[in-house]
Formats: sequence, structure tokens, C-alpha cells
Amino acid sequence: MDNFSALIEGFATVLHPMYLLYALFGVFVGTAVGVLPGIGPAMTIALLLPLTYSLEPTAAIIVFAGIYYGGMYGGSTTSILLNTPGESASIVTAIEGNRMARAGRGAAALATAAIGSFVAGSIATVALTFLAPVVAGWAVQLGEPDYFALMVVAFVTVGALLGSSVPRGLASLSLGLFLGLIGTDTLTGQQRFTFGVPNLADGIDVVVVAVGLFAVGEAVYVGSRMRHGPIRVIPVEKGWRTWMKRDDWRRSWKPWLRGAAIGFPVGTIPAGGADVATFLSYAAERRLAGPRRKQFGKGAIEGVAGPEAANNAAASGVLVPLLTLGLPTTATAAIIIVAFQSYGIQPGPMLLQNESSLVWALIASLYVGNLMLVVLNLPLVGMWVKVLRIPRHYLYAGILLFGALGSYALNFAPVDVLLLVLIGLIGFFMRRYGYPVAPLVVGMILGPMAEDRLRRSLAISQGDLSYLVTSPFAATAYAAIIVLLAVGIWLKRRERAEEA
Amino acid sequence: MAPDAPVPPGGPTAEDAPPPPGAVEPPPRRWGELVLALATTALGVYVLVAAGSITVPGSSNTLGPRAFPYLVGGMLVAAGVVLVVLILSGRTGQEEGGEDVDPSVRTDWLTVVLLVVILVVHVFAINAVGWPFAAALLFGGAAVVLGARPWWRAALAGLVLGLVIQVIFGGLLGLSLPAGPLLEGVPFLRG
Repeated sequence: MDNFSALIEGFATVLHPMYLLYALFGVFVGTAVGVLPGIGPAMTIALLLPLTYSLEPTAAIIVFAGIYYGGMYGGSTTSILLNTPGESASIVTAIEGNRMARAGRGAAALATAAIGSFVAGSIATVALTFLAPVVAGWAVQLGEPDYFALMVVAFVTVGALLGSSVPRGLASLSLGLFLGLIGTDTLTGQQRFTFGVPNLADGIDVVVVAVGLFAVGEAVYVGSRMRHGPIRVIPVEKGWRTWMKRDDWRRSWKPWLRGAAIGFPVGTIPAGGADVATFLSYAAERRLAGPRRKQFGKGAIEGVAGPEAANNAAASGVLVPLLTLGLPTTATAAIIIVAFQSYGIQPGPMLLQNESSLVWALIASLYVGNLMLVVLNLPLVGMWVKVLRIPRHYLYAGILLFGALGSYALNFAPVDVLLLVLIGLIGFFMRRYGYPVAPLVVGMILGPMAEDRLRRSLAISQGDLSYLVTSPFAATAYAAIIVLLAVGIWLKRRERAEEA
Repeated sequence: MAPDAPVPPGGPTAEDAPPPPGAVEPPPRRWGELVLALATTALGVYVLVAAGSITVPGSSNTLGPRAFPYLVGGMLVAAGVVLVVLILSGRTGQEEGGEDVDPSVRTDWLTVVLLVVILVVHVFAINAVGWPFAAALLFGGAAVVLGARPWWRAALAGLVLGLVIQVIFGGLLGLSLPAGPLLEGVPFLRG
């Protein structure tokens, strides 16, 4: 019950009025930015990092938690009310939810998405509360080669599964690993790939790369192929009575629970994150729909309720490897690691011991943030619709401005902004030619850690390579790679076949 | 190497019914894509070569600072070569979609160049005229390039936005954004 009292203490911190305000600010800004089309949760956090530079760590972490969940809620609003799919995790929601909205049932779609996200998010946060200490306790016993094996698992799954093409994912990952190499080698103090530039001796800041790829790259890419003409937002009927009818509740609650059950475990393993979870949930709902199956594709409420619930549950699941192993399994998780690091906090097995109060405050703020979101989201739909109507030229100009501000605020050196432009251009070309950008960010963050683990392992074994695979855990991990890859690629294929 | 995911017959999946099917688009983008794949390969070769010149201190008896770069270089070359082969055999990448991306229009290179130019000008303007004005330039310029009309409204919006951010972040939150020579001495703008 030690953890339970720690969680109570976390709640005591979060329920402090000042921190409640921070949480409210986080979920509000997160939803508002998440509603903006073209901005996923990873980009939301990357763009808002500079906002939190001057906050103390606990406040900043609470704001991040709010942004993280808020971005997810906001994304589903966008995909239901706008007629084109955006954020990858909610593509299936876009199919069903958008059809529902067109049929005049937009409010019900929004409600089942929000309430389902709340139910599944809360269940998943409870699961996180119980699972995280167990995993952390077990992770402390892992040796250097075990960690290296875990990171190889993350590299392979992230490189191969985040994106539609395996070699392009691999190229993106390798580019990230290369960017991570630039700077001074931690173990020997040698400069690597610094081209004699003194500024590069400390390495390239990950924030610049993340903001450059996600914000600048996206803005330039959209700018190059902008959809002109009026923005068609589907109107939502007024009044809370239209939100959900008795029949909608009856049809929604089972998909919510199933979504939570599918989403959380998928989120905890490095298997492609929320995308895979939403897709699996959608497939499951369709299979279980029985006579209602022919409604799928035309606006079945189960097809919104399940995937949205799975999406949020996966978002909590992702936090398990992130907080206990320091292992990011999605682009958003990678950005959260960057945020932690900017406060000098290293996620990993020691985090729960060293920064116990911070972690429990974070978990408590997830409960609180979820509650705030479900309360905020539905009554404020009218406002989100206005946000959706922001003229696109101002929206993308604003994204560029905040991206530039974020990198400038790192060191107040214009050079960083120049680097941002360069990275943004790389991001533009990667998008244009179908290279996923997420593996690059993950590779850049995990690369130096993996190299460190690898070299420490081999220093312990005095160069004996077999030491890397002889521990039972590492051997299992390498075997798991093969299974994960096979299952993952099979899932991707099915997903694509389903979409076509 | 796992084979690349097969592109479904008929080109990119047209899942949105309303716009006319974009299936009749031959791959005119092969050149740019080929250049990118070749650049990946070239970067890999460079990493492999340059890794050889990293100084290895005598003390490290096992894996030194060169090993990981060799691995990364090898991966870049491998990915690049596979991509070159794939592209030459006609299997090009699927460009990213998005809410505001119109899949039926071709890339507007002028917009790309202008946006990059505006960003670069912004970088050099920060120290010359101060952050708020550099921000106004970036926001207004980018908005006009992306289609904001009339131009003076975008410029005005940029100026207001720049000053508001300066007051909030520089004045209230203590970020040291340079206010610039024009606003030197205005107390609530100082970072």
C-alpha cells in the first residue's frame, strides 16, 4: 500500500489550487492546439515546450500531462467535424465519426468519443498506477545488455512500424542516429562529426530537431500543397439532449471497455502505438457488431466509441515503458522524454525512487486532467468549431512563428533558428517522399543511450560479444523482435487492405 | 531486407470519394525521390569514411568511439541502396496526407522557397531590429505567401502578435527576447 499512499500524496500536490490551474491551462491549451488541423500531440508538445521553460518541474510536468491528454481529445473533435482525416491515430474515427456528423449525429459522435476517452483513459490510468511500480521494480534488476536489447527492440519496431515503408523508416531512424552522434563522445571525450564547429561540440538540441521536423516541416509541406477555398466544418446541433440517447449509451459502453482492454496493453509494448490500438479496436467492433455490421463505414457509433477509447488507453499505456524504462515507443513519447530531460530528469527505472513525488503528481494529474477534459470538451464544442475555422494562412504562419520562438528561446542564439530552418527543410522533403519523421526523433534520443549501454556492456565482458545475448531477458527480447515484426507487418497490411 | 510494402494497384489509395479519383497520376516525382535516396547513401558513405578519422584514445581497450558510427553509416548506406533500387523499379513512396493538404495539386515550389527565405530573413532580423519586429516579419510574410489578403492586415496581425508575445514571454515570464533598438528602454518589454 506504499504506492497507494504515494498516489494520495500525488493527488494532494495536484489538488493544490495553483497546480489545478496549471492542469486546467494544460488541458485547455492542449485541446485547443490539438483541435487545430494538422497538429498532432507530438507537435503540440514540441511547440508548447518553450511555454514551460520558466515553470518549475512539477508545474511543467502537470502542464505536459494536460497537453498530452488534451491533444488526444482535440484530435478526435477535428476528425469528426472536418471532412478529411488528420492525426493518424484517429483515422478510423474520421471514417465513422465523420459519417455520423454528416448524418446529423455529430453531437452523439463527439459525446461517445469524449466519454469513451474518459472511461478508457481512467481505466488505463488505474492500470498504469498499478503496473508502473511493478515494472520499475523489475527493471532495476536489468543489466546493461538487457537495456541494450530493449533499445534494439524499440529501434526495430519504431523504424519498421511507424510509417508505411520499412526501408524509409530505417533511413529515417539512421538519420536520427547520425544526428545523435554529432557532438562529444561521453565515454572518451572525443569530438565526432562536429565539422570543427564549436557550437556542435555539445551536440544538436533535440528540441530544435523535433520542432523543425514536426512544426516547420509540416507547415512548409502543407504550404506547398495547400487546400484552398472555404473550410467546411460540419455543423453540430445545439443542446445537451442531443448528445447521446439511451440507445447510444447501450451501444457504446461495451466498445469503451473493449477499447480500454485493447488499447492499454498495445500501448505498453513497442508495437506502433495508438495507431495499431485504434485499428485493432475498430476491427474488433466490426466483427462483434453482428447484424449492425453493415452500418460500419456509414456511421456506426461503435466504430467511434471503441477506437477513441483504445486511443486514449494506449496513450496511458505508452507511459509505462516511458516512465519505468525510459523507452519512448512513439514520437509523442520521445518528445515527452525531451521535455523531462530539459528539466534534468532522466526517465528510467530509478525515476520512481528518485523523483517519486513528481511521478505520482504526474499520474494524479492524468486522473484530474481526464475529468477536466470530459467536463470541458462537450460544452465548449462551439468554441472548438471556431478554432477549426481559423484561416489556414494565419494558422501555418503562427506555427512557423511559435516554432522559431521555441528554438530561439533555447539559447537565445539566432544560429539555432537557422538550424531549425535546415531541419524543417529536411522534414519537408521527408514528408513529400513518404519518409516517416517519427523514427528520426526516436533514433536521435535513444541512439546515444543505446551506444552507452552497448559500450558499457562490452567493457564489462571485456569485448565478448556473446555477453549481449546470454542473459535470458536479452535473449527473449531479441526473439520478441522477430515476433513483433511479423505481427506488426501483418497488421499494417491488413490495415491498408481495410482502408483501400 | 524485408520487401517494401506493395503499393496497391491504382496508385495512392483514394479514400475520399468527393474529389475526382487521382489514379491517373504517373510518378513524375521520381527524380526528387531518387536524389533523396542517393543523398541518404552518400551521407552513409561519408559517415563510414569520417568515422575512421575519429581519434581513439589508447585507454579504451574494447568498443571505442568509432564502432557506433560505423554501424550507423552502414545502416544509412543499406537503407539508401534499397531505396534507390525500389525507386528505380517504380515503387515510389506515398507522400503524407493531412487535413489541409490537397492531394490533387502539384507542389508549389515558389511557396516553399519563399517560406524558407522569410524564415532566414527572420533569423537575421532578430538582432538587427529586435524580436517583436522579426516576429511580425515572419508571421506577416508567411501569411501573405500562404494566401492572406490584404497584405496589410496580415502585417498588422503579425505586429500585434509579436508585441503580445514579447510582453507575455519577455516581460512577464522573463524570457530574454531582445526588444530591439526601437523599443529600447520600454520597461515591460525587457526580458
